[in-house]
Parts: sequence; structure tokens; C-alpha cells
Amino acid sequence: MERPIRSICIVGGGTAGWLTAAIIAARHASRSGCGLEITLVESESIGIIGVGEGTWPTMRSTLKKVGISETDFFRECNASFKHGAKFARWVTGQASDFYYHPLMLPEGFPSLDLAPYWMKYSEAQRDAPSFSNAVCFQEAVCELGLAPKLITTPEYAGVANYAYHLDAGRFAGFIREHCVRKLGIRHVVDDVTEVISSDTGAIDSVQTRKSGRLGADLFIDASGFRSLLLGETMGVPFVDRSDVLFIDRALAVQVPHDHEQSDIVPYTVSTAQKHGWIWDIGLQSRRGVGYVYSSNHTTAEAALAELRAYVGDKHRDLQPREIRIACGHRQVFWKGNCVAVGLAGGFLEPLEASALVLIELSADMISTMLPATREAMPIVAERYNKITQYRWDRIIDFLKLHYILSRRTDSAFWIDNREPKSIPDSLQEQLELWRYRTPGDQDFTSNCEMFPAASYQYVLYGMGFRTDTRHQAFDSDIGGAKRAFAQNETLKARWTKTLPKNRDLIDKIKTLGLQKI
Amino acid sequence: MRLVELSRSEHRELRIRGDRVEASAAHQHLIPIVVGEFRKAATQYPIVFAKHPETGRFAPYVLSGLGVAENLFWSGTELDVAYVPLNVRRQPFYVRMDDAPDASAANVLCIDLDHPCLDPSGTRTIVNADGSDSAYLKEILAILGELVAGRTATEQFIAALLSLDLLAPIMLDIVLEDATPLQLQGLYGLDEERFRQLDAAQIASLWQSGYLDLIYAVMIASGQIFKLIRLKNQRIALSRAWQGNAS
Repeated sequence: MERPIRSICIVGGGTAGWLTAAIIAARHASRSGCGLEITLVESESIGIIGVGEGTWPTMRSTLKKVGISETDFFRECNASFKHGAKFARWVTGQASDFYYHPLMLPEGFPSLDLAPYWMKYSEAQRDAPSFSNAVCFQEAVCELGLAPKLITTPEYAGVANYAYHLDAGRFAGFIREHCVRKLGIRHVVDDVTEVISSDTGAIDSVQTRKSGRLGADLFIDASGFRSLLLGETMGVPFVDRSDVLFIDRALAVQVPHDHEQSDIVPYTVSTAQKHGWIWDIGLQSRRGVGYVYSSNHTTAEAALAELRAYVGDKHRDLQPREIRIACGHRQVFWKGNCVAVGLAGGFLEPLEASALVLIELSADMISTMLPATREAMPIVAERYNKITQYRWDRIIDFLKLHYILSRRTDSAFWIDNREPKSIPDSLQEQLELWRYRTPGDQDFTSNCEMFPAASYQYVLYGMGFRTDTRHQAFDSDIGGAKRAFAQNETLKARWTKTLPKNRDLIDKIKTLGLQKI
Repeated sequence: MRLVELSRSEHRELRIRGDRVEASAAHQHLIPIVVGEFRKAATQYPIVFAKHPETGRFAPYVLSGLGVAENLFWSGTELDVAYVPLNVRRQPFYVRMDDAPDASAANVLCIDLDHPCLDPSGTRTIVNADGSDSAYLKEILAILGELVAGRTATEQFIAALLSLDLLAPIMLDIVLEDATPLQLQGLYGLDEERFRQLDAAQIASLWQSGYLDLIYAVMIASGQIFKLIRLKNQRIALSRAWQGNAS
């Protein structure tokens, strides 16, 4: 007899749990009568970690899809705009050393690849603009602190491609309100005391302190680092990836703005330190700052001193919160009738803001791949695991790329990071290709890629990697390349003049709102 | 533009040339209107909606050109059209809305001292010889009164349209006789398909609030786009003929 999937129980009320609930409900709950019943159990006693403060542009379509107004999001989540990331002191460690990874593709990409033209140009001319500045107008906009859109631009549309910075705690609460009020999700505030398995090894139900047993056809583990369902109950082991990525500690601190009207930096700043790097994320009311470092390379005291030096004397009274992080993921993400999202599935340092986007992608996949019956679940689980594993591997490759291109020699942390045995084979192969040919879409053949070839270009050429293009076969189109470079200059001139300051636009959105059209 | 509060004593000598008032609209392709003007405007122009560049708020406009800063009704001396919007006719006078809690006290009558219609050769004055308001000023005050009163009604109408998702971007897919494509962006119109999907209760409520008339005025006015295209093609033909003569 077939057993249809009718109910989902999500364990965990952080960003992962609520975002997953919203994404699945927006797709399934509207089917009148036969919709899925979704329950979310949120612990009374366990707080949320709330590390994810940077998103990808995917968050725009996610919020839109679940029926949230962008204006409300700005009003409720302390949110601000993000054009991309600025990496400071990653290459040489000098004060003048920086490059951008903007969210827009290079002009003309992918039908036209400007990288080989820029390579030649920058070899011939000493004062040639940086790669990102030559091919994309966002760096110029970022340096002026401008927003990616106008007050007349509709919700979720942009002049420049953009993502968000947000307050993770407020964001979880905001999505929760929407889930409960608009999407009909059952919200149980209670502690899970026991997970009850059936004799087939599947999860039958979770026992709660006050609300009884909660059964479901599918359980989603959003319990955070603890991985209560997938790790503890199903016994799926953790795969440690600290052989590639060394960071295992975070010191996080909330830094108030100098005054209420301080500029909000419209990009994430990542500043390399002696034993790791510091993130700096501008929100409306404060900055989220944190030092992620390797405890094998330095002490907590030394790290704290580096963080204090970064935030400045003015904020020496702030007490950073220490978070121990394990770089890695579960061996599988979906086992039996249990799938993990967010930290329960794994964690990586937030260098490219991969935490929230992985939640979105996981929830999307669960939502679209959700089998109709329990019998079909193993098939879906296997596919889901394959895709998710591939995604984690690609993120790990991309994060590692930032470390191996560094030329810093000021600590064992940086030198060890370039040890060949710490570099995944997949990444070594790509780098071998790119020594003589610029990265292109042909190097990324899955339809579940995480970073486009353009992102690799921004990091490679931003960090001074040289591709010897002498032997590169490409359709030489010098006229087209000149037009694309000129077009970028035109856009730069137009938008640096027209776009408002980040803070000004956010204030305007909060008072006047954005139009939906 | 140099707006100052109008003073009947200080500005008693000012002379205004009525024939230059319309010149202010010579390079306007969008002229804002209020709902009270929809019926008359619809007989002459397409009525469109666009966002205010500073606030992002929608407002209704008549479309008087097919390119930025183009007014196809401008003949070189006047607007050659049977209905001239209040926002043109009120020139060079403005109402400044001060941020005061009491809205009626906050409206301040102003004049733009840089306006080209201020000229000693003008025949119009704001006050009569005895110091009383001239018939001209009374007419201006009536126009401004209509604009101020119409502002709230217009905002309410826009809010009603938005709440029913009745506005949608306009795609102007027109190729002119000289094969130039049109590039007007940021215009919105009524989503007629969506309008036809409204249920009886929604239609009844639009009818009760008087909005149904306005919606039909906008729909009928949309056909005026053909007049603009004709005017534009005439201009193209004229300039071609002119260039032909010149060469």
C-alpha cells in the first residue's frame, strides 16, 4: 500500500527552520484541500546562533516567492543593500591591497569574455584599472557608498545586481510571523525531549515536553550545530573538512554606528588578518563584525587583540562572543525520512556568504523534489545527496581559492594554506587549466553550480593570478571588447552620478516604501 | 526656478505675458494632472502613470510626446491642443506645501520670478488699480484651488488602483516612419486584462467611489497614442522636407 507524503515536521526555529518552512509552504500549502501540513517546533530554551548576516542575490527571488514585501523586509530586519564583497589585505597584506568580487557579471559575459583582453591590456599598461573596475561598474558605485537601485525601481528589481545584509535574529522572527500568519504553518514552542524511531529506522515522531508526540512523514532537521535528528538520531557522521579550510573559531561583536546617520557600507568587507580574516557587515543600526581564525595557529588572546585593533579603541568595551565552528558537513544530508538544512547539515566559514544561500537551495530542492509517496523517498534522497555534496565541494573549492592565491608570508596560517596537500584535486585541476586559459562556463558543467566562471575570474584576477593567454584559442573580437569596456565606462559614469547613498535610499524605503511594479 | 511667496503689495507692478505661459510646457513630454481633469484630458492625450523620481510615488500624467523632453503639441508659440492641463495654465504660480500640522494653513501662494512670462510688456497684473485681486489672479487662484483639492483625490485613486493591482508597465512597441524605435521608459498604464477579472463587488465599489469613470477615461484615452504617432510622423516628414530643401 502506498503511503503519501502529507506532513512535514521541522525541528528548529532559527533562520534555517523558518526559511525552509516558508519556501516549502509557499509552493505546497496553497494546493487547496490536499496541501501539506507543516509543523515547526521551536525550542523554548535554546537560542539561535544567527551567524548568517550576508545573503546572495537569490534571497530576492526567495522573499518574493514566499510573498514578502521588500519594503516590509527593510522595515523589520535592519537590512541593507550589498553589491558584493571587498577583500582587503588578502594578497600582500599591505594597506593598499584590495579587490572586489561584485555580484554583476563582467560586461558582455558570457558571450564575450573580457578577461584575455584585460590581461593583455594590463600587461602593456602599468596604470591599467583593476579587473573588476575594468569590466563592471559596481566597484565604482561601492567606493562611493551608493545603493544598487533608485526609489523608483520596483521591489526586488535592481539597477545593479544586489543581495542583502540582515540581522539574523530579526530575520528569523520576521519570517516566522509571515509563516504563521500568512502561510498557515503550525508553530509549536516546546522542547524536543526524545526522537522516536520506527522499527524500519525511519523517524516516527518527536516527543515534546508539553505538546505531546509530533509525527510526520518527513522530518527536517534545522536544529543547528547539534544536528539532533540527522546526526544524533540517524547516526550520520560528520565529515571534517578542516584539512582544506583551517578556520575553527569565530569572535563576533556588534559595533554601533558612530551616529544615527552614519553611511552604511553597501558591500561586505573581508579584511585578512594574521591568522584568518575579519568580516564587516553594515546594517541600519550597527555593524556586525567578527574575526574567524584558526585556533591551531594562534591563541584566543592574540585573536582578541587583533579584533580589538580592527574595531578601534573607541569600542574596546565591547565583549565579543566566541563561537566554536567545525568546518565540514554530514556524510549525507538526507537519510530515510530525515533531511538536514542549515548548520545541522554543516558549516563553512562565511567568506562568500554561503550559509543562507545553502538553506534557500536546500529548501527549494526539498520543495520541488518532494516525492509523492514514502516509497519514492530513497530515490529522491540519493539524488538530493549527490547534488548537495557537489555544491558543498564547489563552495569549499571556491573558498580555498582565496587562500591559495594569497602571497602573505606573515604567519604559518597563510603558508600552510598554500600546502598542495591541503588543496582539493578538483581545484588543482582547474588552476592548471587556467594557467593558459581564462575561466569560462565550459569549466563548470553541472546545472547545480554554485559560483559562475565570472566569480572565479573576479577572485583570480583580483588577486593577481596571471593567465598566459598566448595559446588561448578565442574568437578575437577586439572591436567587441573595446565596445564592452567603453560601455562599462558609460554605465560607471551614469550610475555613480544617479544612484543615491545606501543610507538615504534605505531611509526613503522605510518612510515611503517601494512600489511593487 | 526662483519661488517666492506672492505679495500683493510687493508684486503689484509685475506684468505677465499670457502668450508665454504655455512655453513652460514646450519641452515636457509628461504633464501631471489631477483626477478632476481626466475627462477633458482623455479627449486629447493618452493618460499614463509614472513615478515621482524623488518619492517613487505614482501620479497621473498626460503624455504629450514620444521622446524625453518632447511636446508634440508645441507649435513654436503655443500648445496647439483643445485642452491644456491645469499645471500648465497655473504658471508662473505655485502652491508651496509647508510641513505644518494644519494643512489648510500650510498652503502658501508663490510665484516663480524666473518664469519667462514675467515681462514688462505683459498685459496681466495680479491686482487691480484699487489693490483688489485682478480677474486674472482670481482665475489663477481657482486653478490652484482645483489642483490642491485634486491632490488628495488623485492619491486616493492611485492607492485604489494599486490595491487592485491595476497598474502595469506600458510597453510602447512603436516604430516610426524613419524606423527609429521609441525609447520611453518608466510609463505605467491600466492593466485591462486584470480589470476584466475583477468581480462584481469590486466593480461596484469602484463605481460607488466614482473611480469607474476615471478608469474608463484612461482606457479610452489610450487610443490617443495614435494621435501622438501621427504628430510625430508629421514632424519627421517636415524635417525631412526641410533637410531636402536645404541640400
